[in-house]
Amino acid sequence: MDAVLVIQSLISGIMIGMVYALLSVGFSLTWGVMHVIHISHAAFGLLGAYLAYSLLTIYGIDPVVSAAASAPLLFILACGVYRLLIKPVTKAKEVIVASMILTFGLAIILENIMALIWKADPRIMTPAYASGALILGPFYFQHPHLVGFALSIAGIAAVYFFLKKTYTGMAVRAAWQQPEAAQLYGVNLYRISMITFALAVSTAGAGGISLALLNSFEPHSHNLWLIYLFLVVIVGGVGDIVGTALAGLIIGTITGLSMAFLPFQWVNLVTFGFLMVFLIFRPHGLFKQGA
Amino acid sequence: MLRVDNITVCYGRMEALRNVSLEVAPGEMAALIGGNGAGKTTLLNAISGLVPATGGAISWEGKALKGFAPDRICREGIVQVPEGRKLFPAMTVEENLVMGAYLPTVRKGSREALAHVYEIFPRLADRRRQLAGSLSGGEQQMAALGRALMARPRLLMLDEPSLGLSPKAAAEIFAIVRQLNQEGMSVLLVSQEVLETLAITVRGYVLENGAVAMEGPSAALREDPQVKASYLGL
Ligand SMILES: Nc1ncnc2c1ncn2[C@@H]1O[C@H](COP(=O)(O)OP(=O)(O)OP(=O)(O)O)[C@@H](O)[C@H]1O
Ligand SMILES: [Mg+2]
Repeated sequence: MDAVLVIQSLISGIMIGMVYALLSVGFSLTWGVMHVIHISHAAFGLLGAYLAYSLLTIYGIDPVVSAAASAPLLFILACGVYRLLIKPVTKAKEVIVASMILTFGLAIILENIMALIWKADPRIMTPAYASGALILGPFYFQHPHLVGFALSIAGIAAVYFFLKKTYTGMAVRAAWQQPEAAQLYGVNLYRISMITFALAVSTAGAGGISLALLNSFEPHSHNLWLIYLFLVVIVGGVGDIVGTALAGLIIGTITGLSMAFLPFQWVNLVTFGFLMVFLIFRPHGLFKQGA
Repeated sequence: MLRVDNITVCYGRMEALRNVSLEVAPGEMAALIGGNGAGKTTLLNAISGLVPATGGAISWEGKALKGFAPDRICREGIVQVPEGRKLFPAMTVEENLVMGAYLPTVRKGSREALAHVYEIFPRLADRRRQLAGSLSGGEQQMAALGRALMARPRLLMLDEPSLGLSPKAAAEIFAIVRQLNQEGMSVLLVSQEVLETLAITVRGYVLENGAVAMEGPSAALREDPQVKASYLGL
């Protein structure tokens, strides 16, 4: 095998893996904290990507700037979605199932809205630096890929900082680990759930933009993204940020390498084969957090 | 002064508390004893706002509290150390303590409060970076009590703080609670260590099947033949 090709695809895998990780952290949090499996998470990410795409093509606004701008926008939108749709469902007996069905419907609605607005054609994000590349010896990195990678690192770092260092972030973790005690010390579960959900959706937006800098996208792309969300979260452990980041990298690397060296039909086979083997040995994710 | 007046609590169709009344005077240490399933935890949770009480009233310093959410109750200075400690297992000891001072009203002085808690429990200071889930039972109870102190309680409600502790560790916890009470904190103590509890409290309530069966000075309860037979095994 060609060493340069191996390293190049390894690095590409790491880059896309980081982007998967950013897309997944929020999914993992809503799942862990609220027991809501948010099927339309990736669709919101795709919405972020389309918004950035339009801002870029119409106003020439850089995707990184629109990631910053769309985050609060998606946050507010998600607060509304939480109040209207998610909150009633969290009172159901089978929250996980009810939330999956509800947000599955929401994903379909979002997909159709996106198809109406942006049409079904595949799009690519072409910022000013789209044709630039960083060449390091035999290695070659397209600028948009580097920017998407950097954006996803920044996004994950922000989520990590929020959860570790802010009172609200600590309350999110506390509410997840021990909701009753969290309430006893002043945490308002309703407010924390809304913040968790909205934060997750806004990071999905940033993740969608990152992914759109690496790959082309179309209105139904979120379905494939969703499969990767599940992969990453199951490998990383539900609600575990560091685990999610690592799982993103592992899965990115596996797909990166198999894409370079295996026939296309084998890529998913290898990836999901890995998932099955992984689940046999570590049913609770990378860092065991069962119970 | 905490005044619980004739409250009833139901879980579905089951009445867990029926017309229960109880008082804790300012600076007083009161005991709440009773067998398993008598409703002690339910009563504390009703005061804390975790379970809704139907009928009756709960008041604190003249203010009606019934129907308030738990965060609101905590803001009033009524703080519970829950049964089974209920620490945040995947957070460090220090994070657990800091979460005790989550409410903006107590956040300001949380640095001093933390230093004070470490002074009371030097063991916690040594383990501040350790995950709470990996503490021993005695250390967990210290952390749970420390977390409650971070919320600067004026009424501290403890639900079986000595459960599963060695006699020595239990005695330590009781000594600290007593000390806190002598410094002016009101305390409502739920405990199965009936003899011990009646020795350090002034007044007590005996809960049976969701209703107050007896109340009075702890010294008198200790001598009561019925209490002796049911709870002291004498
Ligand atoms: N969440 C709940 N749902 C339904 N029933 C409950 C619930 N919590 C408590 N109960 C019931 O209410 C009654 C009182 O329970 P509670 O926990 O208040 O008793 P306790 O006096 O604290 O007992 P213990 O000494 O064992 O802790 C019990 O019969 C219990 O089974
Ligand atoms: Mg109890």
